[in-house]
Amino acid sequence: MNQSWLLGQRSLREAWRTPEALLPTLFIPLFFLVVNVGQAAKIFPSGSTPFLEGQNYAAFQLPSSVLLAASFGSAALYLVEDIEGGYFDKLRAAPVSRTALVLGRLAAEAAKSIAITAVMVLISLPFGIRIASGALGFLLLLLLTATWAVVFAGFMQLIALKTRSAAATNSGGLVFFPLLFLTPNFVPRDMLTRPMEIAATFNPVTYIMEGLRSLILEDLSWAPIGRGFAVVAVLGLLMVVLNIRTIRSYD
Amino acid sequence: MTLAVEADQLVKHYSGRGGAVEAVRGVDLHVAEGEVFGFLGPNGAGKSTTVRMLTTLMTITSGSARVAGVDVAADPDAARRRIGVALQEAGLDPRQTGRELLVLQARLFGSSRTQATERATELLELVDLAAAADRRIKGYSGGMKRRLDLASALVHEPAVLFLDEPTTGLDPASRITVWEELRRINARGTTIFLTTQYLEEADQLCDRLAIIDGGLIVREGTPAQLKAELRDRLGRDTEPTLDEVFLDVTGRTRERAAGEVQEVQA
Repeated sequence: MNQSWLLGQRSLREAWRTPEALLPTLFIPLFFLVVNVGQAAKIFPSGSTPFLEGQNYAAFQLPSSVLLAASFGSAALYLVEDIEGGYFDKLRAAPVSRTALVLGRLAAEAAKSIAITAVMVLISLPFGIRIASGALGFLLLLLLTATWAVVFAGFMQLIALKTRSAAATNSGGLVFFPLLFLTPNFVPRDMLTRPMEIAATFNPVTYIMEGLRSLILEDLSWAPIGRGFAVVAVLGLLMVVLNIRTIRSYD
Repeated sequence: MTLAVEADQLVKHYSGRGGAVEAVRGVDLHVAEGEVFGFLGPNGAGKSTTVRMLTTLMTITSGSARVAGVDVAADPDAARRRIGVALQEAGLDPRQTGRELLVLQARLFGSSRTQATERATELLELVDLAAAADRRIKGYSGGMKRRLDLASALVHEPAVLFLDEPTTGLDPASRITVWEELRRINARGTTIFLTTQYLEEADQLCDRLAIIDGGLIVREGTPAQLKAELRDRLGRDTEPTLDEVFLDVTGRTRERAAGEVQEVQA
């Protein structure tokens, strides 16, 4: 655990010292939030749209932006840099547990995600968005988003370890866009067309989005929150196991 | 004689895009404790692959290897605690400072924060980087990076230090500085296993050499022995250079070597 902590600290230092990579993680999702709300808010006025639970459309859209911010997967690109520059081999030649090599980066990704999500929520507050589930809900929102960041960073790291290529890893990250759009992104699931509803039902991101949305729009509602956490727990475990297996057989 | 490195019929096969590659085809190595051992060979001969197997970075297809008395395949973590590794690419994190990198490396080897800080300061002095210790590594020159890489391989005072082409790309002054560091490190009792393309470097530093070609060891001995053998065989009055030994052993002529370079450029 100590080694994971040391490597996690190093990854955070790496991110902090590369603001040009960190800042787009905040501003691009905020840009999408503004654009999406600007395009659709008039269709869904808060007074006559039951699924908004009395809030404005920005509150409904916030989970999409938060998930986008958590899905940049920059940790994997830093890993490719480490591989190309030889530092990854330096770490592998040290008596560092292979689990720590994986967990260090993923823990740093979770910490970054918590910070970015908190800033996004704070920026949203003056625009009338509130976290209806209160302080506990806010903490759960941070935790759920951070766990998703771990899942996605784990997926990207797998591509990085398999391909050892920045271009391939970058392209792999684009898979998030279909995942994001095959969700109840603009309206609740029961308002989607039937084919979209089926696609969204099979998409794990749907359940994380619905969990986050529930935390923002409603009092603590454990069913959607529980489904969100169950999805990230299963996927997170899968990604950690696959990453460790890949690093152990890495030649 | 206690052996620092012992390889027995070491083999590495892997699948490349053009089919199966036999990178190393049965290498035997015996390096005594305290030796500076040079491992030479043309490009693609199997030098780096052998080093990567000995340093636990690559799986072994068959055969066995022991480093500092530890079987590298059976107990890789124990082997890692006894070896220091500096590979062809100076394995550094450009966003950290030299001091941060050394402290982290020492802590990964189990040192406390205080011990790691003290060891980093000591090593920065040793490799003459104390003045640049708190600058980010991305601003270091090639020579500084090589020296820092060397220092990072020494944080835990390894019994055996593996260096894969440690002076490639360095200017002559930086190369001599690295040689001096290596002599100092060896004088403290560390066995050094060195691959190099520079035969003058091997001649200057190494107690004994092995030349690998096509994945097999084709000649082994002290530099003086290898030169004397060629001189006697050719019936020459003057002592050949190690370059001539290398070209003789690997079956390459200067013309052919030049041709190979042109092929690579094409």
